[in-house]
Parts: sequence; structure tokens; C-alpha cells
Amino acid sequence: MPSVAELSSPYENFMLGPRPGPDVCVVCFNFTRGYERCYACSQNEDWLAALAPISYSVGLEQLHRALMGYKRLGGEVARRLTVELAAVLWRYLAGHEHCVARATGVSAFGLVTTVPSGERGRDSAHPVRHIVGDLVGPTRERHERLLRRSELEVPPRTFDVGKFEAVRALDGEPVLLIDDTWTTGASAQSAAAALRRAGAGPVSAVVIGRHLNREWHENDTRLRGIARPFDWERCALCATSGP
Amino acid sequence: MASALDTAALVVLLRRGRRSPQAYAELVEEAGSAVSVLERDELQRSLFDLDPDLDATVSEIEAWEARGIQLVGVLDPRYPRNLLAVHDRPPLLFVAGSLAPEDARSIAVIGSRRASAEGIAAAKEIAEHLVEHGYSVISGLAAGIDTSAHRAALARGGRTVAVIGTGLLHSYPPQNAELQKLIATEGAVASQFWPQAPPSRRSFPMRNAVMSGISLGTVIVEASLTSGSRIQARLALAQGRPVFLLEALLEQEWAQELATRAGTHVVKAPREITATVERLTAAEPLSA
Repeated sequence: MPSVAELSSPYENFMLGPRPGPDVCVVCFNFTRGYERCYACSQNEDWLAALAPISYSVGLEQLHRALMGYKRLGGEVARRLTVELAAVLWRYLAGHEHCVARATGVSAFGLVTTVPSGERGRDSAHPVRHIVGDLVGPTRERHERLLRRSELEVPPRTFDVGKFEAVRALDGEPVLLIDDTWTTGASAQSAAAALRRAGAGPVSAVVIGRHLNREWHENDTRLRGIARPFDWERCALCATSGP
Repeated sequence: MASALDTAALVVLLRRGRRSPQAYAELVEEAGSAVSVLERDELQRSLFDLDPDLDATVSEIEAWEARGIQLVGVLDPRYPRNLLAVHDRPPLLFVAGSLAPEDARSIAVIGSRRASAEGIAAAKEIAEHLVEHGYSVISGLAAGIDTSAHRAALARGGRTVAVIGTGLLHSYPPQNAELQKLIATEGAVASQFWPQAPPSRRSFPMRNAVMSGISLGTVIVEASLTSGSRIQARLALAQGRPVFLLEALLEQEWAQELATRAGTHVVKAPREITATVERLTAAEPLSA
């Protein structure tokens, strides 16, 4: 039986841990030039209490490949990538879910859910739900499918409070929202909006990869400045409070 | 099998395109066709000379096929599945012989060109063990360790695949031309380079990424400080693939450093390699 540690460890060779700082978006950890929020986060409504990207996912690099491949490639290769990504998420939550809870101002999350696919047809068997609902020990007991894609026509990568709808009413419970990739945040913010409007308490999100293109702006220089290998002991939300 | 026209479009893209091979691999996968990526790219320039180019390329591909060279692009079902999962996959492989779906269960066995007698024997023992356990043996057709691994796999009636650093119309080293033919008959010889491409400084490290990407893991049998095997170890780890170092390598400082990296396993016996790969790839629930 493969263990979380041995399946996740090889990823530390290419994972890049986001850290808060000057010229880093306070919402999504995108690199900015002197702004508190990146362009996308200044355009979208912010419904999240906190966001924890586990790693940057750089276009055409290995984590990006894994995050695309586990959904697209099918067969044994996709199954292996799925289990590896589940191990990464498991290890992150085991070490740092309390950081997310603290940043949210709650003691713990009793409910965990995933961002549905933006495309209605793919919503019924979304791979990230398999990871959160079946594979990851720390989430499977708390996982509930709380959201579905609404009938509303929403262009891809566009924030819309009506994009998703809750399947039941909520009663002030804090919710941990999980997705594989954050690009503009439109999906996760739309999902958080739907949960809040259904009565949820604070909603925070964990994503495996915060997508970036290396060739844009100063991204390459900024990414080169990140300490390697990836450090499982620190995360985007705990880095400022540690020794 | 991808259509002849789509394969020709991929060839034209790679020859004329201004993006990296990896970027084209991704664009073609996303679009589901090389023709549509080519049309999109060419629209920004002039489209009028595209058709004769494609026709000429279809003929060129037929001429390669007549010499026993198959073109296998990322959309082709014959493209190695493990290789699809890595960031540095080439958009197009040239193949002599035939890639088989069972080559997905494979391990690369590599090492120095100037190998010791112990190294040659260890490579042979590992390759035999792999064949007995149903693995294809992947290697780079170089002198020394690679040759020993390929030959041992063939002698045991196993599958072996050579990933070479030149075009398929070359043999490097020249004395392995005969072995290259034999592997093409029994298994496959694969190259990401144009068939006429000579060996170059850049080509060997590039093929190391492919050798690693095709395999579930890479075993380094014997290597010196300057060996290409070290490059493959680095590339394999960057793909998230395990690297196995034979214990004797730890006499060298670079190997001690490599052994500290996540994903590197120091092994004494061949069965430790297959046991680790079986565990890492087992279709079982994760354990904390």
C-alpha cells in the first residue's frame, strides 16, 4: 500500500510554495507590481475568507502537467496522477489545515466540498471530487457535494454569483472548499458566493496549484526566488507566523 | 493512428513553428488536431503555401515509412502512455520496430559507456530480473551498461526499447548498428529527432528525458561524475519519477548528494527496484 509521504515527496522536486509578501496578491498569491491585489482579484468579488494555494503551477511544467493529465489522460496514467495529487493534498491538509482554519477565524471545518466543473456535462463525475470524497483521509468523512452547476450561461473564467447553486440550505457552518487549480479565481469565488448565499458561514479554499505563466511580467525572476526543494513544514498561510 | 495529413501538419509545425516542442505538444493535445493548430499559427502569416507544403510532407513521411520509420505523435494511440504524463514529452517520436502497450510496464536501466566488468554484470542481472517480472527494459543503446541491459533483455526473450540521441538513420556508437537493427526487430528503437539528425551535445540530454518519461523509474547502474546518467536522474526527479541508485555508487560524492533527494532510492538487489515500483504504482488506497 503506497503511503502519502512516499507518493507526495517526489513532488517537492518541482512544487513551488507561495509566500505572502510585498508585490504578492493578498487574495491569490499572484505576483504583482506594487499592487495589493492582482488584476483578476481586483475585478472579481472576493467571497473567500482565506485562500491557500499549496504550490504555484507553472504552465508547461510538471505540476501543471499532472493537474491537466489526471483529468484528461484517462487509464492507468491518469489513475496514478490522481493518487499522487491526492497524496499532495492529504499531506498539505494534515500539516496545515489548522493554518487555513486560523486564517478563517474558525476552530475547524466540519464541511468540505469541491468546486464543480464549469461545464455541466462534466459535473457528475469530476475527478477532484473523487480525490476529496474518496481518496484523501482527512476529507472523505467530511465531504459533501454541496454545489452544482446552475443552468445559467456563464462564459468560462468569469465570476458570476449565479454560476453554481447550493443543493441544500446551510446554517452558518464554515466550509472548506477544494479545487485543483486556481487561474483567475472565477470558479472558486463563484462557488464561495453560492455557498455563502445558501447560508454558509465563512468559506475558505485550498487549491493544489495556483496557475502562472513563467514568461509573463517578472514571473520567471519571482519564481526563481522561491526556496527549493518545496518545504512541507511551511505553507502560504503559516509562513508569516513561524520563527 | 493519426491521419497522414495530421501527422504531416505536426511535422510542418515543428519545422516552421516558433514555439518550443513542449508548447506544440500541449497545443496539439488541447486542439485534438495538429492541422487546426497549424492553421491557427499560419493565419497570422500567409496561408497560400500551406497545401503544397503538406502534400510534400505527406510524401516525405511515406518515404520514411518505406525505410521502416513510423511517426508517432502525441495524439497517436501508440504514443507511450507514461511519456504523456511528463512536462517535457516530445510532440513527435520516430519509431523503428513497434511500441507495444505493455511497454508501459517498463524501467530504464542506464549507466556509463566505459563500464567495469561488475557494472556490466549488474546491468545484465537487473535486466534479466525485469524481464522475468514482466517489465520492458528501456535504455539508450550506448556502449557499456546500456548495451549490456539491452542484450540481456533480448537474450531472455523480453521486450526492450532503445531511446537514441540521434535520428533513426544513424547509429551511435557505429558499432551498435547491428544491435539497433536487432532491437528494432524484437522491440522498438525510438527517437525524437529528425531521421537524418546527427548526434549533438544537446541531443543526448534531451533523449534522457524521453527515456525516463517512457519508464516507471530509472536505474543507474554505474556512472561517473561526468556521465549522462546523472542528467537523467535529475530529469527523472523533475518528472516525479523514481530514481534507483545501486549502492556501490555511493562511494561518489555526487551520488551521496543525489541520494538525499526525494524520489531517490538506494538499492542493493534488483528485487528492491521492482518491489518499490510495484508499491508506488499499486492500485490500492493510500495509507497515512
